[in-house]
Amino acid sequence: MGDAIVGVVANPLSGRDIRRLVTHASVFPTAEKASMIQRMLTAFGAVGVHRVLLSTDLGGISAAVFRALGRRGAHGADARWPEVEFLDGQPIRQTAQDTVDAVRRMVAAGARVIVCLGGDGTARVTASAAGEVPMLALSTGTNNVFPAVREATTAGLAAGLVATGAVPADRATARAKLLEVWVGDRAETALVDVAACTERHVGTRALWEPATLTQLFCAFAEPDAIGLSSILGQLSPVGRRDPHGVTARLVPGAPRQVLAPIAPGLVVPVGVSEIAQMRPGAVHEVDASAGVIAVDGERELTFEPGERPLVRLRADGPRCVDVQAVLAASAGLGLLLREHGGGST
Amino acid sequence: MTDTIERRALSREQLLSAYRMMRAIREFEERVHREFATGEIPGFVHLYAGEEASAVGVCLDLGERDTIASTHRGHGHCIAKGVDVGEMMAEIYGRRTGSCHGKGGSMHIADLSKGMLGANGIVGGGPPLICGTALAAKIRGTGGVSVAFFGDGGSNQGTTLESMNLACVWNLPAVFIAENNGYAETTASAWSVAADNIADRAAGFGMPGVIVDGFDFFAVHEAASEAIARARGGGGPTLIEMKFTRYYGHFEGDQQTYRADEVERARAELDCLRRFAARVTETGELARADLDAVDADVATMIDKAVDDAKAAPLPGEADLLTDVYVRY
Amino acid sequence: MARSITYREALNEALTQEMARDESVIVMGEDNAGGAGAPGEDDAWGGVLGVTKGLYHRFPGRVLDTPISESAFIGAAIGAATAGLRPVAELMFVDFMGVCFDQIYNQAAKFRYMFGGKAVTPVVIRTMYGAGLRAAAQHSQCLYPLFTHIPGLKVVLPATPYDAKGLLTQAIRDNDPVMFFEHKALYDLAGPVPEESYALPFGEANVVREGGDVTIVTLGRMVHTSLEAAERLAADGVQCEVVDLRTTSPLDEDTVLESAEATGRVVVVDEAHPRCSIATDISALVAQKAFGALQAPVEMVTAPHTPVPFSGPLEDLYIPDAQRIVNAVKTVTGWTR
Repeated sequence: MGDAIVGVVANPLSGRDIRRLVTHASVFPTAEKASMIQRMLTAFGAVGVHRVLLSTDLGGISAAVFRALGRRGAHGADARWPEVEFLDGQPIRQTAQDTVDAVRRMVAAGARVIVCLGGDGTARVTASAAGEVPMLALSTGTNNVFPAVREATTAGLAAGLVATGAVPADRATARAKLLEVWVGDRAETALVDVAACTERHVGTRALWEPATLTQLFCAFAEPDAIGLSSILGQLSPVGRRDPHGVTARLVPGAPRQVLAPIAPGLVVPVGVSEIAQMRPGAVHEVDASAGVIAVDGERELTFEPGERPLVRLRADGPRCVDVQAVLAASAGLGLLLREHGGGST
Repeated sequence: MTDTIERRALSREQLLSAYRMMRAIREFEERVHREFATGEIPGFVHLYAGEEASAVGVCLDLGERDTIASTHRGHGHCIAKGVDVGEMMAEIYGRRTGSCHGKGGSMHIADLSKGMLGANGIVGGGPPLICGTALAAKIRGTGGVSVAFFGDGGSNQGTTLESMNLACVWNLPAVFIAENNGYAETTASAWSVAADNIADRAAGFGMPGVIVDGFDFFAVHEAASEAIARARGGGGPTLIEMKFTRYYGHFEGDQQTYRADEVERARAELDCLRRFAARVTETGELARADLDAVDADVATMIDKAVDDAKAAPLPGEADLLTDVYVRY
Repeated sequence: MARSITYREALNEALTQEMARDESVIVMGEDNAGGAGAPGEDDAWGGVLGVTKGLYHRFPGRVLDTPISESAFIGAAIGAATAGLRPVAELMFVDFMGVCFDQIYNQAAKFRYMFGGKAVTPVVIRTMYGAGLRAAAQHSQCLYPLFTHIPGLKVVLPATPYDAKGLLTQAIRDNDPVMFFEHKALYDLAGPVPEESYALPFGEANVVREGGDVTIVTLGRMVHTSLEAAERLAADGVQCEVVDLRTTSPLDEDTVLESAEATGRVVVVDEAHPRCSIATDISALVAQKAFGALQAPVEMVTAPHTPVPFSGPLEDLYIPDAQRIVNAVKTVTGWTR
């Protein structure tokens, strides 16, 4: 079967954009991201992961883990960590491309699970590069829908159990839906939502003004979500496992207004009309004349008059580790039971 | 909400003005770079080329009741705040017709009538002064906002940290702009800034901290306009960290042996003027012909500024002892 | 006959009258009101030694407490001055100048010159100086020579309650940056002070005692010590002229030289350290411009070249006293080639 390898990619730039200013979005310390990785390394070691591939960054996360590695063993009985390899040698651009490059290298090196730390953007980019390798997205911040808000140690146990094959993939993972959007030959994917916005430029990427939104497409819309999908989550909820998605027009003066938590600390009325289901494979048009398409809450694709953005729901999104299912299976299989006095693996 | 969208949606005039200012800064600095190599410019100059989007993106929403303080790398901020280009060039050449009558030089160009409190030869010298102008605006009820520009080096200076705390304690109408161009002289900011992100320090002072791509005019302007509006509305200070790189050395004459090839890549792929031009012509907000006209205009203006400066008189003995005091 | 109030009260009165007269005057400093954010009373102190007491309630919004951030708030006072206010900031002990000196000597002092005459910086920085309270090395220095050295600053040292009120009033009205030095041992000194508002000009020394035998040039607290010495010397038939400089920048050279030419014998009494001090400055002035009139070398009575000691007997030895001044006068009167 080969070595049990896990890839971990962490985004140092998540959680530092304009949402700290225009909403009450949280500030997630770099030190905490590094600490999450260390907690996962302990969990990986406990369940027999052989090797961990870590992304490198200029934001202090990999540096902090590197320092922690250097200090290990200095005071005796540390828990066993797997072998840690830092993926360096490639230029760091401090853009999403760094995440794509890191994940591709992890996949090529045989990683069996990719863990990503960041927000919706990080998860989206990771998904675009992970291929068939299951991913586990951990949230570092408040403004996220797709990644789980989950303690890193237990997430590490689950990822490790999947990487070692102790929990079979069919019980451990579920396939997420995916939204595809394209303008001519420029394409993007989203894991949660695609929105058409009347802003002309990508700018700071964030969206926080409902008056600029004209159309919304959601792969899923949970009633307890934060962000744009909450608009439809209250009106026409769609679960992550439901086969379809949901779309609507957003019209400021519409008779039906939803009070939606579209950003942390920001609960605003949004006018909604023409709600419709999205069937997998069906192509929907964005019929604004010009503006920017936002994917998972971040402006990404500009379009000019004459260009018509198209959106499609797909059922074949990334395979995602279901932490609860893994650890429940582990309980059922007694995977974490040890004989007293017997050493750990 | 709609007024914030209106504030950020730039009119044709504003876009042209932004382009003109960025182009003026770029051509001014490129020209000073060439002239300095001839040996005719006295002292030291520190060039802002590459960073134009920061000065212009921030100053676009500032008026004459607003004040900025700058650094030793101040030409860009001066131009963006409306200081006369001809007077600036003359000052750099040490002429009597300069903004400071030849008595300040590149690092001390100021124009208080335009709310430009000066370039500053002392790293970290500006932020405390900005707390003062912000305090004055608050006490006098002018609605003015004060903006402190400082670099990654200045972000570590005690004066800057104290000023951020004081501005938050007094809830001043201030904005702090950390221009992280990657180097403080030869020292990389990745090394000297302990938390790696200057913006992360804001949380320690209880104000929002935002990171922005300093090469992207639209991103800079969005963030700055929100911060300025927040300050003007009594919401207190904000810290915005621009991430970019300077095209030239710390000063002219710096051999830059401490750098890799980031400037070539930046000029080719990230340059703020190139990207701005591409965007506005793509959207049709401006035409290529509009931009070309500005380019030609700016080239003429810079030529004239240099010619005038070279021909202008130097200050003399009569100027040495004047203006130490208002009245001694 | 004017009523008698203390040096502290005279300063408070100057501030009160100027703040009432001119809305642009504001006050800021550590504990200048006192009690910021604390559950007890506001204006708890009115300054560490009470100089600004009462202003907080009388002029709401114009007396600001500050965190312990000298470079930020001294810089803020300077910046606010360029923007049309007339701030009176307090640098609590001049010994703290190290943490904010840049804002004073590189920014405030140089704006007008560096910006080609286009800046006006009407800031007053009040500060306490001087030994005698057993406050030890880092709370007892004089340091005014360092500021006197800087072109663009004015340096003022009132010796009496009358001078304190008049000179502070002038400092606030002055359009240049002023360093205003208050000797901490003088706050309780009482003296006659008119009730009405008045300003004393800078650059005008005060001959506080006339005499034809010896000129004692002095400033600040040493004016009183010099007068004490002059009384003793008068009993021995030596008549001393005591010249209180009042301001070291601008300096009233004329009064000093006039007196030096009349007596031919000069003693300078300066509580600051001896090197590069006001004592050496006056000595050089007299040597250069009154050389022909001198009957003896200039004698300097100063503190020693040491930090200020803590223990009582040591500090008393450190501070120039009347006996040392008497000895110096006797040196110049007894001097022969």
